[in-house]
Amino acid sequence: MKTILYSLIALLFFTSCEKIIEIDLKENQSKIVIVGNITNEVGPYFVKITKSSLLNYQGENATIDNAVVTIRDNQGNTEMLSAIGNGNYQTTKIRGKVGLTYTLVAKIGGETYTAQSTMPALVKFDSIKVLSSTFGGEISYDFVPVFTDPIAKGNQYRFVLSLNDKLVKSHFVLDDLVKNGSVNTQPLQNMADLKIKTGDVVKLQMQSVDDNVGLYYKTLVQITDSGPGGGTTPSNPPNNISNGALGIFSAHTIQERSTTIK
Amino acid sequence: MQKKIFALLGLLGVCFGLTAQTKFTISGTLKDKKSGEALIGATIRVLEFSNVGMTTNEYGFYSLSIPQGTYTFNVSYVGYTSVTEQVILKANVSKDWSLSDDNTLEEVVVRAVKDDENLTKATMGTEVLNVKEIAKIPVLFGEKDLVKAIQLMPGVKSNGEGSNGFSVRGGATDQNLILLDEAPVYNASHLLGFFSTFNSDAIKDATIIKGNSPAQFGGRLSSVLDVKMKEGNNKEYHASGGIGLISSRLTLEGPIQQEKSSFIISGRRTYVDMFAKLSPDFKDTELYFYDLNAKANLQINNKNKLFFSGYLGKDVLGFGKVFGSDWGNSTATIRWNSILSSKLFSNTSLIYSNYDFNISFLTDGEKINNNSNIKDINLGQDFSYYPNPKNTLRFGFSLIHHILTPNRFQSEGIISEQKSRKSLENAIYVNNSYQINDKINVDYGLRLSMYSILGGDTYNVYENNVLSKSILLAEGEIGESYLNLEPRISANYRINQTSSIKLGYARNTQSLHLLSNSTSGNPTDRWIGNSYNIKPEIADQISLGLSKNFVENKYELNVEGYYKLLQNQIDYKDGTDINTAPDIESQLLFGEGRAYGLEVLLKKKTGKLTGWIGYTLSKTERQINGINNDQWYNAKQDRTHDLSVVAIYNLSPKWSFGATFIYNTGNAVTFPTGKYDLNGIPTLQYGTRNDNRMPSTHRLDLSATYEKQKKGRFQSSWSFGLYNAYGQSNPYSIDFKENVDNPGKIEAVQLSLFRWLPSVTYNFKF
Repeated sequence: MKTILYSLIALLFFTSCEKIIEIDLKENQSKIVIVGNITNEVGPYFVKITKSSLLNYQGENATIDNAVVTIRDNQGNTEMLSAIGNGNYQTTKIRGKVGLTYTLVAKIGGETYTAQSTMPALVKFDSIKVLSSTFGGEISYDFVPVFTDPIAKGNQYRFVLSLNDKLVKSHFVLDDLVKNGSVNTQPLQNMADLKIKTGDVVKLQMQSVDDNVGLYYKTLVQITDSGPGGGTTPSNPPNNISNGALGIFSAHTIQERSTTIK
Repeated sequence: MQKKIFALLGLLGVCFGLTAQTKFTISGTLKDKKSGEALIGATIRVLEFSNVGMTTNEYGFYSLSIPQGTYTFNVSYVGYTSVTEQVILKANVSKDWSLSDDNTLEEVVVRAVKDDENLTKATMGTEVLNVKEIAKIPVLFGEKDLVKAIQLMPGVKSNGEGSNGFSVRGGATDQNLILLDEAPVYNASHLLGFFSTFNSDAIKDATIIKGNSPAQFGGRLSSVLDVKMKEGNNKEYHASGGIGLISSRLTLEGPIQQEKSSFIISGRRTYVDMFAKLSPDFKDTELYFYDLNAKANLQINNKNKLFFSGYLGKDVLGFGKVFGSDWGNSTATIRWNSILSSKLFSNTSLIYSNYDFNISFLTDGEKINNNSNIKDINLGQDFSYYPNPKNTLRFGFSLIHHILTPNRFQSEGIISEQKSRKSLENAIYVNNSYQINDKINVDYGLRLSMYSILGGDTYNVYENNVLSKSILLAEGEIGESYLNLEPRISANYRINQTSSIKLGYARNTQSLHLLSNSTSGNPTDRWIGNSYNIKPEIADQISLGLSKNFVENKYELNVEGYYKLLQNQIDYKDGTDINTAPDIESQLLFGEGRAYGLEVLLKKKTGKLTGWIGYTLSKTERQINGINNDQWYNAKQDRTHDLSVVAIYNLSPKWSFGATFIYNTGNAVTFPTGKYDLNGIPTLQYGTRNDNRMPSTHRLDLSATYEKQKKGRFQSSWSFGLYNAYGQSNPYSIDFKENVDNPGKIEAVQLSLFRWLPSVTYNFKF
């Protein structure tokens, strides 16, 4: 829909132009970034700890390899993760199970960061439906992940899209606020910049995520999805990690489906 | 109700003329000689008294009570030749005046009275724009636009390039009361904000009051934009119109009853989509808007007049079956003007206003609709009372019934509740303009406003965004009521022949609030009324002004400073989608705001070269708990400098030229400060809210108008325009994107809209 709006505006105001500009950026406060995932598949699971960098910094982000990272579930299992370098920490024995709540504790220097996430029930991912439409002589594609939303309200879904095995660097989310308990017909939004052609292989990972994780990704989508005239005022999305760290700790189910554009 | 009015009158200590001398009243209306249109805000003076003067009200009515005698009356109005006449007053007299406009530029206009109204009036922060005056200002696509002209005034800022949304003295877009013949217009723009809903052909004039409005206006914090439609020529039939780049217009007007009653009907439609449809790629595209204004007035007798006015506007944007949307306002006003006595003028209005928004899209064979609606019915009674030449009293009441239906998605599979909320917004007011002596004028008033929630829905109460209780209000039940007393006062002290000083204070409250998911204002934005969580917004403004005229009133300099405090300001939590949130009220955050600034306006009103220079220096901040770590931050409409220069040069009766130049600091925005990796996706880190600036904007627009020699009744003209004459690429939006070839490198990409955009318009009249 956004694509169509943009095109209509471009059609009317045929004189628009884009250029890259230099901006005076404010000083950045480098923060701890913790990104952790627990899934319903067999481990190991990983937690990555880095530090945020300046916007115009061109190298790899600084990593933290001397943290003490533990994960426990609400059934009494607990485990200290082993550092495997490059900011990554790995589990060995903890199992990701639907319905369990996982707590992550990371001790970095004198600071402690904690996060909690509950793995929601698996919602079966049936297939990817590809829709195509023509606007202004160009074919554009939309992807509808086909699944049946459970009757219970409050389901949140996140999707990871790959095109020809290359990760698409956008966030995709769906929820059941508009249409609860039925087969999904909503396509993934926020595809404006994607160039898709016949023969491309589309791989989609569906994740059932909890409320906090859902809100986190939804906020990210709103920030990047600035409509005509500008979107919402951006900010760091509300996350589930204490002590001001950036990032997210997510316990979720995963399933993958793929299809080829015909 | 009546008791309350009298109590208010008593409270104000309005002084009625208690002199023993026999006084007589001269009253009547003031009209344009050619068309019979009432002239609003024209000045009537009695030359025998240095300080006795009066301005006509919104219907051209005036009334003056002075002792028996023979007087020289002088009647003047901007752009018209003034009239001086002797009147012997030995009984109450009813006298109408008519003035003719001086189109002849060669003539030197002799003014019997100095044009120094700005020095004598107590009104503050007020600008009147005559549609004739703004006709030569260059505009985007050559579409004459009242709102764009208003945005060139100091203290009024456009929301962005091409945008019709505006911010007055640090207020938000929704804090402007926009009235078309007294009816509120909820979305005053077309086509995502690029055009205003006001078709200039149908408009007589517009007044903007920046916070210090008289007590008869209320309901919004920052400003009143009072737009009056033309009444139509009551002497001859005329047709006029224009063919432009974007739209065409046609207006018909004429008498219903010679010199008594008239009508006007005016339409406008854009036609970009018609060209687009010629291309097979865009044949399914719909993209247009139209406006229809109609007005009729019927004179029942010398003392009673009825007005009917209506507006209908709609935007349609769609693409085949996949996507369709339309939105628009409709308003209707019935007014009854009655001269109850030579001293008492009454206006009764019954007003209807409606705003609709519909969007539908078809995905995967399923149609989803989303619609919202606001419906107002308003009964207003206003009296103008002229007890003596020193006092003009306005008092009355307004009763508004609102029905607000918020956005909800609907389709076959969706059982989504779409409940309307009803409320009453009532007010009583009294205002007096008191001319104390030669030097001092005071305008003071009091407005008592009351907003009541009406039953028919369940209201949730939240404490710190956690549900604490639910209140079920049955149909017909009245819930929480909010009562606010709004005092307003402004005073003018004339220091000497050429200068005066002004001081004002005003409190305004607002009970309807606009929630928007975007920074620019979209048709999907949602109006919400006060509830158990949302309290009326309150603004207190003090202002101090200085006016000075130079070179025999040819130049007018007005300097005004203001300080404004805002309470109960509304924002919402991060990640909230106002269209899908189950109860938006659980997501709201509340706080306060402050705004201060200095406005300078230098005007040249006569001669071949006319125009103005407006400059504003200002600061606008917000503090809302839950945003920016509860610290004060720049509001998005905060701009330090704002400059506009408007010049119109009348070279000859055939040729005239216009130019505008604007410069302004960029809006306060939040740019990322850092970045990090999130599961392989580069993610931006943000610091303090609105701590950055968009690059500054500057632009020169030019226009030329060629008026052909009049042939019989037929008059025509060509207008040429060049928007952004030196092709500055001004920022419309800035996005941060990862460089495709160099992953990890984040670039700021600026989108600019209009450069060197020419326009041509042909206008005719017969």
